[in-house]
Amino acid sequence: MRTKVIGYYNSKFGELWNKSLADLIDEAIAGVLQSVRLARADIDAVFFGNMLGGILENSLFNSALIAQIMETTVPVYRLEAACASGGLAFQTATNYLKSNKNKTVLVLGAEKMTDVSVERATEALTAASAAEEQIAGLTFPGLYAMMAQVYLHQYRYDEEHLAYISVKNHYHGSLNEKAQFRKTITVDKVLASPYVAYPLKILSSSAISDGAAALILTNDPVRVKSSRSAVDVLSSEVATDCLAIKNRDSLTELYATQVAAEKAFCEAKIKRNRIDVAEVHDCFSIAEILAMEDIGFWKRGEGGKKAKEMSTQLGTNQRLVVNTSGGLKAAGHPVGATGVKQIGELFLQLTKQAKSRLVKNAHFALAHNVGGAGGMAVVSILAV
Amino acid sequence: MINPIRAWRTQKQIKHLLGKSGKIITWTTIYVTTPDFKKQAPYPVVLVEYIDGERAYGPLVNYGDCDLSIGKEVFGVLRIVRKGNSDEIIEYGIKFKPKA
Repeated sequence: MRTKVIGYYNSKFGELWNKSLADLIDEAIAGVLQSVRLARADIDAVFFGNMLGGILENSLFNSALIAQIMETTVPVYRLEAACASGGLAFQTATNYLKSNKNKTVLVLGAEKMTDVSVERATEALTAASAAEEQIAGLTFPGLYAMMAQVYLHQYRYDEEHLAYISVKNHYHGSLNEKAQFRKTITVDKVLASPYVAYPLKILSSSAISDGAAALILTNDPVRVKSSRSAVDVLSSEVATDCLAIKNRDSLTELYATQVAAEKAFCEAKIKRNRIDVAEVHDCFSIAEILAMEDIGFWKRGEGGKKAKEMSTQLGTNQRLVVNTSGGLKAAGHPVGATGVKQIGELFLQLTKQAKSRLVKNAHFALAHNVGGAGGMAVVSILAV
Repeated sequence: MINPIRAWRTQKQIKHLLGKSGKIITWTTIYVTTPDFKKQAPYPVVLVEYIDGERAYGPLVNYGDCDLSIGKEVFGVLRIVRKGNSDEIIEYGIKFKPKA
């Protein structure tokens, strides 16, 4: 039987000062089990995405923490792939289900990032970059800023083109009650915000966030039959690339995204124009533009123009709506949780539970989750 | 803490880049830094490509605004890159200077 997503829950994303990493994990597990009316004992395995627990919390062995919370002895696998940790947890879970019949698993992503200063969180995130990049003083935003510089220079765009991505995603975030930022913003406001790494500004960048998200996946026909809603996983594919961006042939393309997307569409046996709704990795505004081109939704070099047209915003009557959750920019980016939240948002869309941000008549959906500055990408396609 | 063994290992790798010329293929200016670089902010970092195709990152020093551009010729110089506490080593590394 094809793997199905039958349940989803996510905590509020944001600066959750009253919640520890364990609290967030506990909330997500309880929330998702309640949503599907399953007991902890019904779960056959757990796949947990987390990047920074070991660095910021000195808490690396969270597999046992999850076992403690769930009062279980089932396998708990921890997946670390920087910002793609959640996506990789989902992808690994789908592989597990391909080789294990009649199983029901929990996919969990969680991150606690706001207990430390911005500088300390910035340092922790550089763990996803090459040593020579760290020694040169480059930060994670700095690496994307370098890619943005080449893109803007090569295709003759400017910072205004990037700003429209943030405006769109904040609009979508305003419709998501669990988003970190629920205020709409204007292009002028984006352009007036201070730089993080030139040419990327505060409002071109995802925030430092706390949060957790959880999914229930199953290939057990009994569980599917008793579930209130179910979405098919048509494919979930992962690809990798060089860690250091200087070793790449192109600074305006993420090759890992191209490979993962090609494999995902091939496995799903559908064309790109069938996708109705997508969650793509917009850790910075330039990242969404590159993703749209690398996945093949937009032609190479068209991204700046397309971003300015706001063609992927809800309500514009276009075929494809992108980042209805608010994306990483407005929904927040607790890095280990993001990839799980992306799948969850698509589950809500395809099962018509996305309330005021619902994309009507959506049948096919795509999630795109990137690790580091493109060292890994996970692309998954869902359908109802 | 700056690890002296790691610094020594890194410096061995970069010495052949000193004095070598190349062109900026991209650059940024870092405003929000890690704790080690906080005192230097904001600072520009460039990615340089040499004529043999090798590439290296490094901060740009002794520059004017017009030097921060793709295609600008620069060369590698030895500079302090990080200073820890008074009992730690001073880490040297490669930075780049614009060619006149």
